[in-house]
Amino acid sequence: MSDTIELAPLDEAITIAALTADPYPIYKRLRAESPVLRVKSVGRTFLTKASDTKLVKDNAALFSSDDPNTPMKRAFLAHTLMRKDGKEHMRERMAMLPALMPKTISAHWAPLYERLAAEYVGRLPRGEVVDLFPTLAGPLAARILAHIMGIPDASDEEMQRWSQVLIDGAGNFGWRPEPFADSDLANAEMDACLERNAERLRAEPDASALSIMVNSQNPIPWSQIVANVKIAIGGGINEPRDAALTILYGLLSERDQLAEVQRREAWAEAFEEGGRWCAPIQASSRLVMEDTEIRGYRIPKGDTVMTIQASANHDEELYEDPDRFIVFRERNPHQAFGSGPHHCAGAHVSRRTVGAILLPMLFDRFPDMEIVDPGSVVWHGFGFRGPLNLAVRLK
Amino acid sequence: MVKVTYISVSGVETTVDGREGDSVMATAVANNIDGIVGECGGSMACATCHVYVDPAFAGRLSPRSDDEEAMLEGAASDPRPESRLSCQIRLSADLDGLVVRMPEEQM
Ligand code: HEM
Repeated sequence: MSDTIELAPLDEAITIAALTADPYPIYKRLRAESPVLRVKSVGRTFLTKASDTKLVKDNAALFSSDDPNTPMKRAFLAHTLMRKDGKEHMRERMAMLPALMPKTISAHWAPLYERLAAEYVGRLPRGEVVDLFPTLAGPLAARILAHIMGIPDASDEEMQRWSQVLIDGAGNFGWRPEPFADSDLANAEMDACLERNAERLRAEPDASALSIMVNSQNPIPWSQIVANVKIAIGGGINEPRDAALTILYGLLSERDQLAEVQRREAWAEAFEEGGRWCAPIQASSRLVMEDTEIRGYRIPKGDTVMTIQASANHDEELYEDPDRFIVFRERNPHQAFGSGPHHCAGAHVSRRTVGAILLPMLFDRFPDMEIVDPGSVVWHGFGFRGPLNLAVRLK
Repeated sequence: MVKVTYISVSGVETTVDGREGDSVMATAVANNIDGIVGECGGSMACATCHVYVDPAFAGRLSPRSDDEEAMLEGAASDPRPESRLSCQIRLSADLDGLVVRMPEEQM
C-alpha cells in the first residue's frame, strides 16, 4: 500500500451529542457524501455503507476485535471473548454457545420464558397507563438472562444494574474514576454470585451457560467463565429490552401494519424489522491490523474503524424508504446482530423470546393497546440506542 | 461455473451457477435462495445455513470440523449424517451438479 493514496476525509463538525440525539440524518448524509470518514469527536473512522460494515466484520484477521485502547478490560476486570480473535475466541465462544443454540432454547428457555412473560405481562394493570420500559421490557429481559446464565438468584434489579454499570464502564473513554468504582463494586457482587452458583451447578448440572462451562470435560479457565458471563450480562439485557420497545413503538405507530401482523401472525418479521429500523447496538469497532484500503482511501494499521450497523441497516442500496418501519419487506438482510465470528451469541435467544413469545402474548392480552403521547417517547443513544420510555394505555 | 441445486422444504428446485471457491451458503445468498440465511457471513457463528447434502456427494466433501459439528448439534432443525453448514462447503469443479436440501427451519 503506498503513501500516495489519501486518507479518508476528516470531519470536525459531527458531535457525540448530535449522534446521541439522532444519528440517522447524519448517517444518511454520510452514506451519500462520505461513506468513509474520520470523525474527530469520536476518534474513529466511520463506515456507514452496508457492504463495508459487513466486509470489515467478516475479515477478522485484518480487522481485530482486540483493541487494547478501550476501557472495556478495566470495566470488566477481564479480557472477554468479545475482544479476542481467532482460535482463542472460538474456544471461549463455543464453551458457552450450547446454552444459546436453538435446540436448547426450544427445550429449556422458550417454555421458561413463556411462564416468566405470562407472569410479568399478567401483572400489568388493564385500562391503566403504564411505562413498559421499567415494568416489563427491562425486568423480563433481566429475568430470562439470569436463568440462561445459571444465576437465577440474582434479582432483576441486580441484573439490570450490573448490566448498566458494565456498559457505562466499557464506554468510559474519558477514564473518569466514578464509573470504574461502580463497576468494581458490581464485579465483586457478580463474582460472589457466580461462585455460589457454580458450586450449586457442579452438584446439580442444568442447561445454563454457567453449568455447561463449569461441567465441561475440557473447561476454559474460571477467569474466562466469569468474564464471559459478564459480557452476556453487559450485552444481553439492554438489547432485547430496547428491541422489544422499538418494535412495540413501530407497531403501535403503524396500526395498519399491526393489524396485518396480527392477522398473519408475522411476529418474526416484525422482530426483524424492529432490529433493522433501530439497531439496539448501533456500532462496533475494529482495530486495523495492516495498512489497507476501503473505497479508495488509505486505512492505516493501528486505526480504529467503526462499523455502523445502524447505518448499514438504512442503506438505500438495500432498502426502500429505510427510515420507515415497514414489516413486510421483501428482503431484510439487516446487520443488527453483527456479522462474522463475533455475530451475536444471543441472536437465537432474542428471536425466540422477544419475537416469538413476548410480542404475540402482549397483543393477545392488550389488543387495543395504544401509545399515550408518541411525542413524549425519548430516543437516545449513539453506541446503544432505543426508547427511554414507552407509556401505553393497556386495553 | 459449478452448478448447484437447492431444494426447498416444499420441494421447489432451484439450480444456479456458482463460482469455484465460493461457498454453497454465499452462492445461495447471492442468488436470493430462500431457506438459507447465512447471517454471520460464513464464520460458523450462527448456524443459519444448515443443509442436507445429497448422499451422492458425501464422499467428495472435506469432513466436518469439531466446531461445525457442535454448531450443527444445536441447530434449529435436527442434524442428520448428511448435515453440513453450507458456509463450510467450497465449490470446486468436482462438486459440479451438487444437490442440497434445506431443513425445516434455520432460526
Ligand atoms: C435484540 C437483541 C440483541 C442484539 C440486537 C444484539 C446485538 C449484538 C451485536 C451487534 C453483537 C456483535 C458485537 C461485535 O461485533 O463487536 C453482539 C455480540 C454478542 N451478543 Fe448480542 N445482541 C442481542 C441480544 C443478546 C443476548 C440476549 C445475549 C445473551 C444471551 C447476547 C450476547 C452476546 C454475546 C456474548 C456477544 C459477543 C459474541 C462474540 O464476541 O463472539 N446478545 N450482540
